[in-house]
Amino acid sequence: MAKKRLVFTLLYQQGAFYLSRNFRLQRVGDLHWLNNNYRFASIATAIDELVILDVSRQPRDLDVFCAMAAEVSANCFMPLALGGGITTMAQAETLISNGADKLILNTALARNPELVRELVAIYGSQCIVASVDYRREADSFAVYVDQGQERLDCPLARYLADLEALQVGELYLNCIDRDGTGQGYCLEVLQQLPPACHLPVIMAGGAGNQHHLLAGLACSQIDAAATANLFNFVGDGLPRSRDHLLDHGIAMARW
Amino acid sequence: MAVEVAIVDYGAGNLRSVRQALIHLGVHVTVQGDPDRLRGFSHLVLPGVGSFRRAMELIRSRGLDQLLAERVAQGVPLLGICLGMQLLAARSSEDGETQGLGLIAGEVDRFAFDPVATGLKIPHVGFDAVTPVAGSRLFSGFAQQVDFYFTHSFRLRCGAIEPVAATAWHGESYVAAVEQGVLAGTQFHPEKSQANGLKLLANFLERF
Amino acid sequence: MTLQPTWCRHCLNMSTRPRISFDARGWCNACQWMEQKADMDWAPRQQELRTLLDRYRSSHGGFDCLVPVSGGKDGSYVAYQLKHVFGMNPLAITVRPALSLELGDRNLSHFVASGYNHIHVSPDAEVMRRFNRYGFIEKGFPYYGWLTAILTSIIRTALNFDIPLIFYGEDGEVEYGGSTETRNRALFDIEYMKKIYLEGGYEKVLAMLADVDPASLYFWRFPEPAELEGKELYLTHWSYFEPWDSYRNYLVAKEHCGLQEKEEGNSGTFTNFAQNDQALYALHAYLMYLKFGFGRATQDAGIEIRRGAMTRDQAVHLVRLYDGHYPEEFIATYLDYYAMSQEEFDAVLDRWANQDLFEKIDGRWTPRFEVV
Repeated sequence: MAKKRLVFTLLYQQGAFYLSRNFRLQRVGDLHWLNNNYRFASIATAIDELVILDVSRQPRDLDVFCAMAAEVSANCFMPLALGGGITTMAQAETLISNGADKLILNTALARNPELVRELVAIYGSQCIVASVDYRREADSFAVYVDQGQERLDCPLARYLADLEALQVGELYLNCIDRDGTGQGYCLEVLQQLPPACHLPVIMAGGAGNQHHLLAGLACSQIDAAATANLFNFVGDGLPRSRDHLLDHGIAMARW
Repeated sequence: MAVEVAIVDYGAGNLRSVRQALIHLGVHVTVQGDPDRLRGFSHLVLPGVGSFRRAMELIRSRGLDQLLAERVAQGVPLLGICLGMQLLAARSSEDGETQGLGLIAGEVDRFAFDPVATGLKIPHVGFDAVTPVAGSRLFSGFAQQVDFYFTHSFRLRCGAIEPVAATAWHGESYVAAVEQGVLAGTQFHPEKSQANGLKLLANFLERF
Repeated sequence: MTLQPTWCRHCLNMSTRPRISFDARGWCNACQWMEQKADMDWAPRQQELRTLLDRYRSSHGGFDCLVPVSGGKDGSYVAYQLKHVFGMNPLAITVRPALSLELGDRNLSHFVASGYNHIHVSPDAEVMRRFNRYGFIEKGFPYYGWLTAILTSIIRTALNFDIPLIFYGEDGEVEYGGSTETRNRALFDIEYMKKIYLEGGYEKVLAMLADVDPASLYFWRFPEPAELEGKELYLTHWSYFEPWDSYRNYLVAKEHCGLQEKEEGNSGTFTNFAQNDQALYALHAYLMYLKFGFGRATQDAGIEIRRGAMTRDQAVHLVRLYDGHYPEEFIATYLDYYAMSQEEFDAVLDRWANQDLFEKIDGRWTPRFEVV
């Protein structure tokens, strides 16, 4: 059985990396800051996968993004997922040829499912990660696109079932309410997954420390725990978290 | 002869990571898609992402199928990665029936287990344990179970024991790696498998 | 002689903090209070609150409680609770700081616009400046004038509007590791304010301002006992009645009062959603660092650790990275405000730097210690 995964997500916008709190961004630092405080070459072995998202609210420069991704992942020999504002085939191709093992799609899932079908056909399901941002409402969950700005009418449960039909490879579920709060994952959302859902689930939104990551991976329905909390894991935060997960019996890959 | 690796570029897939890994190991790497220029290399690597059918169409259209068979016959080591390994087999049912390169006796089909019954997922994505066969050159120096990164919905099964270098289990048993003479292949991505992957690539370069 | 400071084993509060204490585990009083907050039964205090509010709730449209606000998360939260949860008729009050920041002004506007009656007190700006300057030099409190005014002018306003209840936000001493005197006390008085918040310097300052026209000092005078006679005036902290959670306050203020954050982290810390109203706060935080060895990042880290968002191991990195940032971006503003040269300004900082904790290297006070 595949090992559980620890995923680290970087939020990038116009030359710098950000912390998100309920989808409001705080600039943390540039590549220099990242290198000083994360030293990816040495801590890359603490994570199973690196995700880099372009969360720009302004027009994006794909080439600059790709160059940055290449630099960040330079001595990392693990899967790399890239995304943020993918709306065309050409953009997807550029990301793939620049090192993306997987593409992260979000708004396109709702606005341009035809593109998603094409990408699945050409690159394979395993290459497509469906990123879904949601908020809790009274007794259900609502889906948001366009960086959390636009609420969809389709409730989350139905949306996830539709995504299964689109043959995406994985789900990246991100709770806007919990995002950046360090209050832990919204585990209740797991009930919204289609019965016998065969898609691997990457959980995101709210993980501030190793205890949250453990709580996530201890759930049988969660295959990967992601955190984008750029402050909380500086220095040796990721290696320590991995040790914590291993010490508590989570089946993680070893090397 | 000094180690000179060529990554076979047939227009499908992310060559960058494989190239980075090999450079990291300190060897000279060239990316080459022209059959006429694929000569003089000490090792060849065949990567692959996407569908079997499309990949074979691209390979055949460039005459790379013949080229690879020739090189292998001449004793040039060839490592197929992921789809690249599957292409070495006789046939695959992915996206319609397609003949492979036929360099390894084996067949590629979709995982046949019932996801609902087993609770396991398809595609098989993530790090998973691989059991090397005793005496394997690819896995020289590894422990009895090693974790590598997989991402696939289709898997190889071999009729004979001979080409199998490692097995794995995901709802059913399947071939995780092959080695036969100068041929080698891994279903998993060594270039995505952290230190384990780098070590395996080094084994390929040193022992093939 | 070099001081050997120690740090709380749970959060990162430093032994140098005035009025801090540690238990056998090495946990500071703020962390012990955190445990108490989680264990205790809040029902009696909730009832105390309801009784207090029921007693003073206005039945004729007048204001029944006064809430000091800055437009930031804490005052906004308290005002929101009083109005929307407890049905009171709060009057919100802001004492205008010197050097107010654009984001702070915007947040205050949004707060008021979200539906509150509000009074904006602007004490004499020149007196404020002199008072602040005196505080900076003589006490290492760069906005001493404002710190005094937020106590005095609020009491003044309460008296003038006949408002019997004043709700401050959190009791900083109890929540963050100071005196535990008021941990189990709902109400406090003017004498306590002078002792703790103004560090006993109030009378001396007024004496220093003896040449100022008394009319300009209206907002800085505590009422005389005679003025208070026959009046009901209860000063309390919201944190007495309900477990204080400043992150929760931030979320509520963001959702209901239009609170916005800064686009970057604030000087000396990793947060961007607190203390955005005045430029002098960064200097205040820096002086705290020079005096005691800890700054904003340490405070924020404590809050994050205590609310379970971050572990101590994680926080150590952030404190080492951000604490004690010299407020470069504001220096020109400060020099202009205080009418000082760089040398005079530096001399004040030098005066307050604890040389057992710091040494001057390349013109900057550098810690002799490492946070562990």
